[in-house]
Amino acid sequence: MNFQLMVFFNLILLLIGVFGIFYSRDIISVFVSLQFIIISGFINFIGFSRFLYQHSLWDKIFIISGVTIIYFLLFCIIYYLYLKNDAPETEELYEEFKIFRIKKEDWWGEDGI
Amino acid sequence: MAFLFELSESVNPFQGLIVLSVTILILSLFAVSKNKVIKKCLTALVLFSTAAAFLLNIHSYALCGNFSGFLIFFGSVQMLEIGIIIFSAVNVLFFITMNRKTEGNFVKELILFVFMLICAEFIVISSNFLLMFTSLSIFILTVFQLVSTLNSSSGEMVTHILRFILRPTLTVIFFFSGFSMLYGAQDFKNFSQVLESGDLSNPFISISLILFGIALFLYFFLFPLQGPYIKMIKRGSSASNAVIWFLYFPVGFFLFLKLGSLYSYFIEENNIYYSAILAVAALGFMLAGNIGAVSTKSLRRMKSFLFLFFISAFLFNISMYSAGIINKGSMGLFNFLNILIILFSFMPLYGIFSSIEEDKGKDSLVSIRGLGRNNIYAGINIVIIFLSWSGLIYYLKPFMNFFNGGNFLDMGVIGIALLIFFLICFVFLAINVLRILICIYKKASGGADGEKQEKILFPKFLYVYITFFSIVIIVTPVVYLLGRMGIDIAFIDFCISEFSF
Repeated sequence: MNFQLMVFFNLILLLIGVFGIFYSRDIISVFVSLQFIIISGFINFIGFSRFLYQHSLWDKIFIISGVTIIYFLLFCIIYYLYLKNDAPETEELYEEFKIFRIKKEDWWGEDGI
Repeated sequence: MAFLFELSESVNPFQGLIVLSVTILILSLFAVSKNKVIKKCLTALVLFSTAAAFLLNIHSYALCGNFSGFLIFFGSVQMLEIGIIIFSAVNVLFFITMNRKTEGNFVKELILFVFMLICAEFIVISSNFLLMFTSLSIFILTVFQLVSTLNSSSGEMVTHILRFILRPTLTVIFFFSGFSMLYGAQDFKNFSQVLESGDLSNPFISISLILFGIALFLYFFLFPLQGPYIKMIKRGSSASNAVIWFLYFPVGFFLFLKLGSLYSYFIEENNIYYSAILAVAALGFMLAGNIGAVSTKSLRRMKSFLFLFFISAFLFNISMYSAGIINKGSMGLFNFLNILIILFSFMPLYGIFSSIEEDKGKDSLVSIRGLGRNNIYAGINIVIIFLSWSGLIYYLKPFMNFFNGGNFLDMGVIGIALLIFFLICFVFLAINVLRILICIYKKASGGADGEKQEKILFPKFLYVYITFFSIVIIVTPVVYLLGRMGIDIAFIDFCISEFSF
């Protein structure tokens, strides 16, 4: 494992994550895509720490606190989702959900409620 | 007394944060209480603690001046930013109390609110990536908790809250990736180190800047990705809208200002592509916000789009700096003026319109028809508030200075394009304002349903509330003009006409 390989691998992971966010059609896939981006950042920190800054403690603290907080945030969102799972509106989150869907009603005219 | 001063000095600049933390501790002792008297006392406690935090913020700066540590930096700009956030927070507290005081979860909502305020303050004073990232993540988490609690009565809000909160979550994740890239570039731990290194051509730094740019774009729900924000505002409770407008967005502005110094380096390099991209983006966002507001009859949607317009004005400021029309100090001043215009105009408007909406039960321009005739005082105040938006004309001054003897071509292509675009945006903004004003002064008789409309009345405190903002809006330019005319109006050694960044 060399430094360059790690950097390219991370970049690919990041791009897969970003592509996944655009392509996902349900909320679970969006969460999986988010994992790719988080893991990319995580490996970045670990890799730079391993290859470049071996005596630094700051990055270890950042990794532990950062990953803990991000996963706690995601846990809260998923918990909220499953807590309200019986609401009929949540069905569309599993069947037809795009995080960056752009509709005409989002900008022009009325909302239709 | 000497002991108190010593204690205050030893915890500098965290005095305000300590007061707020103690408030959370006290609130948590009564978290499950549903007693009305206790709720009132706790609301008063939160109000006093925010006021104390505001005063201590100024006091700590006056006492010790700038403070710099491994994790934080506290200077005059941070003091101003915290002051603005606390001022916003007091207003949000007012709206939450008005809408939610009878709810069983009111005390818990207060706890979340104070916790959110603490996180916001940490974001402002943080200089190290570690604290910046941690406070931002917890702030987003608290926004999510507070917004979902404030909308807990509505089942249909679940999907909209989730769609809304996924964007700031993405912001947090992109920030995590961006910080990892910056760390890899040269063991950077704060933005000052990045600037001081001077080697910004490093590809890791460029990638991280792109990631931060995307993150902020997602955070502010800029065009064309404003859908979840607009839907959330349209359907959400009044209190949750206040949280989003007056706490979520201002904190985002201050986060944006932290990154501004990093982006400004590239601007100083006179990168024409960077300037052009920024100019086009600013043009697009501002125009789209105004056109969106023109095309709707919903008051909430109109306000949301107009809010997007003002958010985009930040990018416009950077574009002007990038095109060489204004200097860095003016950019900072314009950004602060923009925040003040947003807060001082949207807060009273929000108070008036949400009160009418509650009274009439519908969110439409029709519901404010005849307001200016039925309630002359409210009508005059609305006119004064909208007049404050004419302050945006200050954007033209740098253009005029740039003419330098009237040579139009001296401005350059980007400068001329920005000027023309700004004028178009201003015309659209004027159309939106005129739409609302015409509706307000239209005859009230014969409403949409053919029924005779009743007189529109507000609670008495709302009159006091809007009067305060109107007085500030009137007094500020008068004081400024007197200052410019050389009449000494300085008080507490502060003169508004000499204020600069």
